[in-house]
Amino acid sequence: MANLMNHYFTLQYRMLNRHIAEFGLNPYIGYVLALVGFTGLSEYLFFKTVFAAYIYATLALSMVVNASETGRNEFLKSQFSRSDYFKIRLLENGLLILPFVLFLLYKSIFPVALGLLVASGVLAFLNFNRGFRGVIPTPFAKQPFEFVVGFRKTFGVIGFAYFLSGMAVYADNFNLGIFAILLIVFTTLFYYLSPENKFFVWSYNLAPKPFLFKKIRTALWYCFLLCVPNLLVLGYFFPDKVIFIMAALLLGYCYLILVILAKYAVFPGEINLPQGILIAIGIWLPPFLLGIIPFFYQKSVKTLKQILE
Amino acid sequence: MITIKNLSKSYGRKEVLKGINLHFSAGRVYGIVGENGAGKTTLFKCIAGLETYDGLVESELKPLKNHLGFLPTTPFFFSKITGREYLRLLAISRQVLQVDFDQKNVFNLPLDEYAINYSTGMKKKLALTAILIQPNDFFILDEPFNGVDIQSNILITEIIHRLKAAGKTVIISSHIFSTLDHTCDEIHLLKAGQFVKKVEQHEFSDLERELKDFTIGNTLDRLFEET
Repeated sequence: MANLMNHYFTLQYRMLNRHIAEFGLNPYIGYVLALVGFTGLSEYLFFKTVFAAYIYATLALSMVVNASETGRNEFLKSQFSRSDYFKIRLLENGLLILPFVLFLLYKSIFPVALGLLVASGVLAFLNFNRGFRGVIPTPFAKQPFEFVVGFRKTFGVIGFAYFLSGMAVYADNFNLGIFAILLIVFTTLFYYLSPENKFFVWSYNLAPKPFLFKKIRTALWYCFLLCVPNLLVLGYFFPDKVIFIMAALLLGYCYLILVILAKYAVFPGEINLPQGILIAIGIWLPPFLLGIIPFFYQKSVKTLKQILE
Repeated sequence: MITIKNLSKSYGRKEVLKGINLHFSAGRVYGIVGENGAGKTTLFKCIAGLETYDGLVESELKPLKNHLGFLPTTPFFFSKITGREYLRLLAISRQVLQVDFDQKNVFNLPLDEYAINYSTGMKKKLALTAILIQPNDFFILDEPFNGVDIQSNILITEIIHRLKAAGKTVIISSHIFSTLDHTCDEIHLLKAGQFVKKVEQHEFSDLERELKDFTIGNTLDRLFEET
């Protein structure tokens, strides 16, 4: 059985390496970049807000919950003995939260680190998806599919962003409110990161330009709908800073357009390293969006022509 | 009318379709038969424009894909989308904005449940309903009878008859000969990427016998031979 577990984790490691290689990176360089990126983003988060430890714990636990997908766990149960199954779940959960725990220890936030460890251990014995088999209602059913599917997968994060907005008012911390808006926008970016099945683009009787405008229009409107509670709360309690709120939303819109165009620029392929670098540049240095967005737009029109015309 | 001229398709060095020539008229139903791997699905994808190819696919419907309802062998479904949302997505994609999906739900599918949780047959029926809601003139149905129950089988057969009566062109592939027998005007036999035979309706029983003899041959004798 130990051999079987060993084989299972070797296979997982190989699969991860293949994913990194498909992204256009040498796996070892990928691990180094992930480590640097994770540490940098963590430092930034802890520098920006006093709620960083809680955001951090939520992020880590949401990853663990995602890993407890019923179908996958049922497969593991059918292949391994009961004890090995729980060993695998414990080990996987432990590996997922390890970077978060180490960073929390480095920051000397021991209670959250300990809580995270205990929670991940408990979650190894639960299958979360069973409770969520019912259909989650969304206000986006008129224009499927990105926001319909995305919202159902990430409604917890959206709810958390609304909570942060409340906390921003309670703690009189405007920056936290802006962070909450950007958290929603960044969550919606993930709705557009992976390419859909080619059939769902092919099916449109639209030329590339109207197709792209339709996609962008829907995304911006639905993103606005998701942000409405935050905008109202912040606008009401920080009326002198409305201009900053609108600027944050506008910047978020630019990011959304950037990701949609990047996706269709390489469709039906996945967003890879070159597009990833351009997206990262656009996000960190927004003035560059003036060049990157038109570049992706031209490429998208060209790529979509082959499918739509 | 659709005319295919000298259509070839290769994946690397492997030539899957070899110079296909075929003509499809309006108001007729065409059956495509062939073993697994003969190239049926690839041919359908090429006609639809979902795959690149060498050769020509000509039609007065331009672009053909905007008038084509394509039912894939295994329709794809997003993980958290309901049957109703799937129908709406494919209706919107062809600018069909006002539809009563409950009225169009002839297979009595649970439209407000996640489509990913449907059975194989229900998924097929949902995908078929979606392309029937679209204003298509040309239909490619890749294994439409796969996994569906007897009642739906009867319903799909009748739907194909109605499409034919409405002057639509329908191409079907199926591994169940009787379903083609009941629906097609002509059947084309695809073998190793080439059409080797065209059979009209009055010769269907001969083709079935021929396929049976060819497939079974003495294979079963080997299996049941006493040693």
